[in-house]
Amino acid sequence: MPIKRSVLRARIENAGEVIGSLWPLRTFNAANPLAGFEDQPFDQAVDRARKLFGGRPYPRPATFRQAWENGEINPALLTRRLEAHGITDPPAALLGRMAADDPPGDTSPADEPLDRLMTKWLAAFLDQGQADWPMPNREEGFYAAWRSVAPYDHDGPPVDSPSDLPPTLLDAFENVLTAYPEGQWESIFVQHLAALPGWVGFIKWRAQQDDHPWQAAYPISLADYLAVRLTLAKRMDRAIAPDDAEELPANGTTRPRLPALWLRAWEESYRRRLLDDLSAAADASGADEDDERPAAQMVFCIDVRSEVLRRHLEATGPYQTFGYAGFFGVPMQHERYDGVRVKSCPPIVNPRHRIAERPAPDRETQAATYDGWRRWGEAGRSLVKTLKHNVAAAFGFVEGSGGVFGAALAARTLLPSALFRATDVADARVPGPDHFCAPTVDRVPEADAEGPLPVGLSPEAKVTYAEAAFRLMGWTDTFAPVVVFTGHGCQTPNNPYKASLDCGACAGNPGGPNARVLAAICNDPDVREALRERGIDIPDDTTFVAGQHNTTTDEVTLFVDPDEVEGASDTIRRLQADLETAQAETAAERVEHFRADRPDAPVDEVQRRAADWAETRPEWGLAGNAAFIVAPRRLTRDLNLNGRCFLHAYDWRTDADGTALENIMTGPMVVGEWINTQYYFSTVDNAAYGSGSKVTQNVEGKVGVVQGNGGDLMSGLPLQSLRTDDVHVQHRPLRLLTLIQAPMGRVDAILERQNTLAQLLDNEWMALAVMDPEQDNTILRYRPGGEWTPDAAESAAPASAAG
Amino acid sequence: MSDDTTYEPTEHTLHPLKKIEIIVRGEKEEFVRELLDDSGVSGYTIHRDLAGRGEHGFHEGRLLFNDRAGLVMFFAVAEEEVIQGIVDGLTPLFEKSSGVMFVSDTQVVRLDKFLGEEDEAGETA
Repeated sequence: MPIKRSVLRARIENAGEVIGSLWPLRTFNAANPLAGFEDQPFDQAVDRARKLFGGRPYPRPATFRQAWENGEINPALLTRRLEAHGITDPPAALLGRMAADDPPGDTSPADEPLDRLMTKWLAAFLDQGQADWPMPNREEGFYAAWRSVAPYDHDGPPVDSPSDLPPTLLDAFENVLTAYPEGQWESIFVQHLAALPGWVGFIKWRAQQDDHPWQAAYPISLADYLAVRLTLAKRMDRAIAPDDAEELPANGTTRPRLPALWLRAWEESYRRRLLDDLSAAADASGADEDDERPAAQMVFCIDVRSEVLRRHLEATGPYQTFGYAGFFGVPMQHERYDGVRVKSCPPIVNPRHRIAERPAPDRETQAATYDGWRRWGEAGRSLVKTLKHNVAAAFGFVEGSGGVFGAALAARTLLPSALFRATDVADARVPGPDHFCAPTVDRVPEADAEGPLPVGLSPEAKVTYAEAAFRLMGWTDTFAPVVVFTGHGCQTPNNPYKASLDCGACAGNPGGPNARVLAAICNDPDVREALRERGIDIPDDTTFVAGQHNTTTDEVTLFVDPDEVEGASDTIRRLQADLETAQAETAAERVEHFRADRPDAPVDEVQRRAADWAETRPEWGLAGNAAFIVAPRRLTRDLNLNGRCFLHAYDWRTDADGTALENIMTGPMVVGEWINTQYYFSTVDNAAYGSGSKVTQNVEGKVGVVQGNGGDLMSGLPLQSLRTDDVHVQHRPLRLLTLIQAPMGRVDAILERQNTLAQLLDNEWMALAVMDPEQDNTILRYRPGGEWTPDAAESAAPASAAG
Repeated sequence: MSDDTTYEPTEHTLHPLKKIEIIVRGEKEEFVRELLDDSGVSGYTIHRDLAGRGEHGFHEGRLLFNDRAGLVMFFAVAEEEVIQGIVDGLTPLFEKSSGVMFVSDTQVVRLDKFLGEEDEAGETA
């Protein structure tokens, strides 16, 4: 019976759910590698995923030992939890037993000839401009291109000519699937997709991009992948269907496992401490309203790294800080001055505007100088590349130019701090686009034709984004003379994972451009007038400024010349000085977590890390993230949260109908869960869900990294982003706890409307607590199933403990 | 009003066709679009940010910062055979993902607007 194409397509779509999308390196997005399993309880999901991907479900025993010895696990809590499951052995003995039961190391990939063939051809087909000699016929799609070259592949099963192979995709499926009932197709597809989750995740991502130039030129889909793989499998006499087809995915075990219990005890120990601290802070700050107008207010990304800097900045003077998603609510694609366009909004948001960097009207001379230098630089680079890659020239070139390259290499290796300063000096001499460009905030209809998105923002859109920002943050009065929107980005050379350290809300790009757009919007008199009509009264003497927080060095750059801001020059200068103080304090706090060369000179240390091309740990990124707090800053202001909390500003009093909260919970909170689960899984099994050691990584086709010289694309974070050494973790793999200060009924109503959020909580992918201001700031915990219980009742209800 | 076109005598005959309405989450919009593009329908309409009550409670329309969780509705009109192809492609999908579809009888005046090109489906996947 012929196969119906529409049915086949749906079966592939369903099977593809088990593989998480994998973003290309340049826009690395932290996402849950088990996103396709979120409709199942956590314990069951990690168990099924272990069967499918071989990934470890829970932290290693050595990780629990580290936490136990550091006092991060409350012994009483752990004992109670164990006892509830009839386990009475002392924790130390259990650590020993877990270690003895545990297979050593992370998962190591099996060397399957079919996988080897597939990865070879996928790497060739999906190359995005790295190969000098690309695969032919790619424009016909992966299956057709592979079919045309398969006869020349002597590693694969013998094929005399392409006509030996099924002519179309559909024929390829028919050739294999007619032996199986439709009910079995999905489990066949799942098995073959899960064999190479990295490449498949990348195909899944690329096939969903509407305007991806490589996808448009050389299309590939999961159907292509499966057609090639199934055709090869049949010719190589490999298994088509999984052995235990009816068992896959198999039922999770109901017996509580030790690691699951330990994980929960560890999580609960952290959460209990945090909630106790927050309760105490709520009592202390009860009537403490700061009505005085601060000198400046700074809005930072919710990112956990902001908390450290905010705390130190607030300590320097009369400043207020806020947390908001680092794309500042502007769903945009950013066109850099060099013409490159990047998505600059969260993975779950589609860009709706293109914002281009154009030289500001009074800065054209600077732009011309920069262009001149850039042309020289480009000509030089292109010449060097040609010489290096040309077979005839390469040898002579290396001989002739070795000295120059050697000196540069020596400088980068031996004098990274000097290089950091030299780069600063060069930047000052030829200011980059940040200094002479302005974003096209107003509509530029004549530029629309250059791409699928309209350029600039309509007046209505501007008002919407400004209002959304202030409403979500619950900030409707008290505006300081200077308000700074601060994006963030990292600084790290020679690092394929740079995007993982940039802003997650900006699709792995620095957030400065979005900050500039929102600042420009808020300085627009028409926008202010419209906001005033909507009850947000921004005084005329308030100036909005954009800036960027360099998370590697903790330097904050303000995109403004203080002399040009009428009436606020002194405030801005003082703020800049205080930001330098805050940088020093923040760096001092952060270097304690590094094996620092210069612990006595923290700023030098972090600057060296930012310039050193051999530094595998330029910064810790979001390692340590464990909680998400949705509340006014006054609740957390006096606490040291150790850079482990996402902070979103929110004021329950200005959001009676819960609209703002609903947008926070469906947007930033979901992105927080993506980041947290990415860190969790990359830590618990770095080989299955992470990307292994940076030392042995190679960039493949400009899209991802592989370990060694081939194999599957690695999907998550590298080892050095998570661990201090082979035994010790920097990232504590705990699932995210969200704490919202709002009436419980309001939060509950949102969960009622947003089924996918309730599902994340019911299946324990994250946890939720509210601090109810209408019940004297009592903390209530959400229990899987939808029940709310007072915080203290937790120990009496161990039923939610392990799966 | 003053235009000098000569009008042919018009017959407002109604032609029977089938209408399909599909509601899915935003994350499946791409899948449904490809299915429709490929099905032979001559066109379709998309509504985004829907609100309503269903199996999973009340669903609010517009979310500022999440385009995947919103609901999207498609509707298309075509001959029964074409609509059946779409139904075949959605039935397995709804085993895994939430969504609904409705097929009903409808009538159109300008039949030619709703007949897709000669169906080339089946040649390539």
